[in-house]
Amino acid sequence: MKVFDTFMKVLKTKLFSVMIYVVVFLAISIPMAKNGSAEKKFEKSSLNICVFDNDDTPESHALVEFIGKENEIIPEYTNEDDILDLLYYESVDFALIIDKGYSEKLASGETSDIFRYYKVHDSYSTVYVRQLLDRYVNGVQAYMAGGMELSEAIDHSAEAMSQEVEVSMADFTGKSGNSDFPTSFGAYFRYMPYIMLSTVISALCIVLKAMNRKDIRYRTNCSSMRPNSFTMQIFAGSAVFVLGLWLILMGAGIVMYGGIFRGRVWGAVLNSFLFIIISAAIAVFAANFSPSNTVVNLITQVVSLGMSFLCGIFVPLGMLGSNIEKAARFLPAYWYVKANEMLCGNQAYDAGKVAMCMLVEAGFAVALIMITLVLNHLKFSKASESVAVPVQA
Amino acid sequence: MFWHCLKYELLTSIRAKDLIIWLMIFPIALGTLFKIAFGSVYETQTKFSTVKTAVVETTPDPVLHQVLDSIGEQEDAFMSVKYVDEDEAMDLLKNEKVEGIIFADGELSLTVHYKGMNSTILTSFVENYNSQRKIIMEAAKNDPASLNDVTAALSAEVNTCREVPLTDGNTDNLIQYFYNLIAMVAMFGSLTGLHITINNQANLSAVGSRNNCSPAPKSVSILAALTGSYIVQGFCMALCVTYLRFVLKIDFGSRLPLVYAAALLGGIAGVSMGFFVGSLNRMKIEAKTSILMSVSMICCFLSGLMVGNMKGVIIKKAPWFNHVNPAALVSDSFYCLNIYSDYRRFMEKIISMAVISVIFVALGIVVSRRKKYESL
Repeated sequence: MKVFDTFMKVLKTKLFSVMIYVVVFLAISIPMAKNGSAEKKFEKSSLNICVFDNDDTPESHALVEFIGKENEIIPEYTNEDDILDLLYYESVDFALIIDKGYSEKLASGETSDIFRYYKVHDSYSTVYVRQLLDRYVNGVQAYMAGGMELSEAIDHSAEAMSQEVEVSMADFTGKSGNSDFPTSFGAYFRYMPYIMLSTVISALCIVLKAMNRKDIRYRTNCSSMRPNSFTMQIFAGSAVFVLGLWLILMGAGIVMYGGIFRGRVWGAVLNSFLFIIISAAIAVFAANFSPSNTVVNLITQVVSLGMSFLCGIFVPLGMLGSNIEKAARFLPAYWYVKANEMLCGNQAYDAGKVAMCMLVEAGFAVALIMITLVLNHLKFSKASESVAVPVQA
Repeated sequence: MFWHCLKYELLTSIRAKDLIIWLMIFPIALGTLFKIAFGSVYETQTKFSTVKTAVVETTPDPVLHQVLDSIGEQEDAFMSVKYVDEDEAMDLLKNEKVEGIIFADGELSLTVHYKGMNSTILTSFVENYNSQRKIIMEAAKNDPASLNDVTAALSAEVNTCREVPLTDGNTDNLIQYFYNLIAMVAMFGSLTGLHITINNQANLSAVGSRNNCSPAPKSVSILAALTGSYIVQGFCMALCVTYLRFVLKIDFGSRLPLVYAAALLGGIAGVSMGFFVGSLNRMKIEAKTSILMSVSMICCFLSGLMVGNMKGVIIKKAPWFNHVNPAALVSDSFYCLNIYSDYRRFMEKIISMAVISVIFVALGIVVSRRKKYESL
């Protein structure tokens, strides 16, 4: 097992960065997977709203309390730059200023421009909060028109607006339901291809390149070791690494899931297994071109980030235009994400379609392996011709 | 001696074609992919557009009709409606042609497919309709004489909010992915920086051994190597910005020369970081490359390369980190140029990048100097 031992020795030098990727991925995934529930129950989006209460009266406090019932009130950021940054990066959805004199204006029936808000872009959140404030003021004015005092009108308006509305979620995810595979846990599987591509290509490609270095390969070829044994040991080394990594990711998944997987999660497990095979096939394919270690790192980033952005790993597929989706079909990650979306209930579940996605993934893996075998054959048959020493007569 | 060393450093860099070509191809390939992926996301997703809704009337509701028609007539209507039967409505919802279905049966109820802002806006409309109905019914019950006043107050068109624009810059926040792409190219400059130490440490390469035996003072050869790497990385950064601005037409605002300056300084910071890590201890090249790649990618992740609102999260949880993360400093400098009209914050970022570069170079020199080898 000399080749296998050497394979592992070279692999050891890359394990540090592989583990960093895996640890960071898990550290980010755990809170994501823990949040959210499997229940298909509607909840309104809770917005992060920053309120500057310059009026500081019981009326303005009542308004802040009303807004805070269904949204999170962010502590005041006094620095305008911070507000701009947070609005730009959408960490704060709305920044409301209640100016001095708000309560007097409300009492006198003045409704125009009684609030100000910091604007960065016309987002859905902006429209929603503006509507909410308009409705609140309308309600107060209506109760006052009905003869109530301001404080009483404020209480009644808040109460009238707080009544529950019956909102149901349409379930197109299939008869068996989807309680075994919450969408929050689906995110864990959704981000997995990026980690698989980053770690498998950067580690496996460099190890395979080292093992196939011309001088080493020729030395091995002229040794007593049979070529089949060499190939099998390389295959075994690659399999140990790839399977080990996959098992770590699945093991972490089981911990996050809180027990052995159930139901459709097994579909996602199979899906991820197919994708790690594809990642390995890409690594073997790239190793054929003997790039330098630095170039391997750059190739890894282009392939992993490119596929992640185009195929709906970082940005949901629905957000990308239909033309992008058409182009993404030529990449294996697209089929992985599509199958995962159906399995976790983000898209209508169809067992036939999921199976088709997985078949396409398997097709990608087979095609990559075939191309690599042909390239390998051409490369080494040519090389053996060029180094053959003519026998002197 | 300096110029001689610099000349050969530049020649060596140019001849290390694979790294240079990849440092050039890398942003072009990823930039193009980003442009394809994000071409219309801001227009279709972040910016507000009308919420499409189906309405199913179990019992005819002329008041609802009137309300929905008046909304539809508004210039920037927040919702558009289609009156259909229940089966067709479910079909439209399943095929994502509408965001939700409003069922009118006296009171209104709602069915949606996904949780999200569109569903929340529809819920808000239904709540509003039901609460107004409640207010009118209360008025009719308690004080019928005031009914007209109450109805008039409820239907009065109010505009309670006045906007305070915070910036005249480009507020498309997807552009930050391109800022972070440039930051990543800058961070990958650390690989160029690493080559300085590979060529100057006798235990890492044959060239390093030869350099250690040569009569050229180490300080001169290292400074020349650093200058050469800065020039090469600077060229890659300039090419990256040029491609994004003039080929992909990314809007960096009106202060393009400063965008180039920030990118160049980012490249210098990246090279300096690589030089420092390369000088550390007597680790193998592979270990140093692994450290640099991992650190670079973590810095880029925390700067928002993979998750768009990551910088906002950092501002809330650990704002100091954005002042020391080189990737965040590079992307923030472009952001400041685009969003802020003054130069205060931009200068803060530029100075931070310069300070980080100086610290890395100084530490690298301290670690590299007086390094002796027992035998070569």
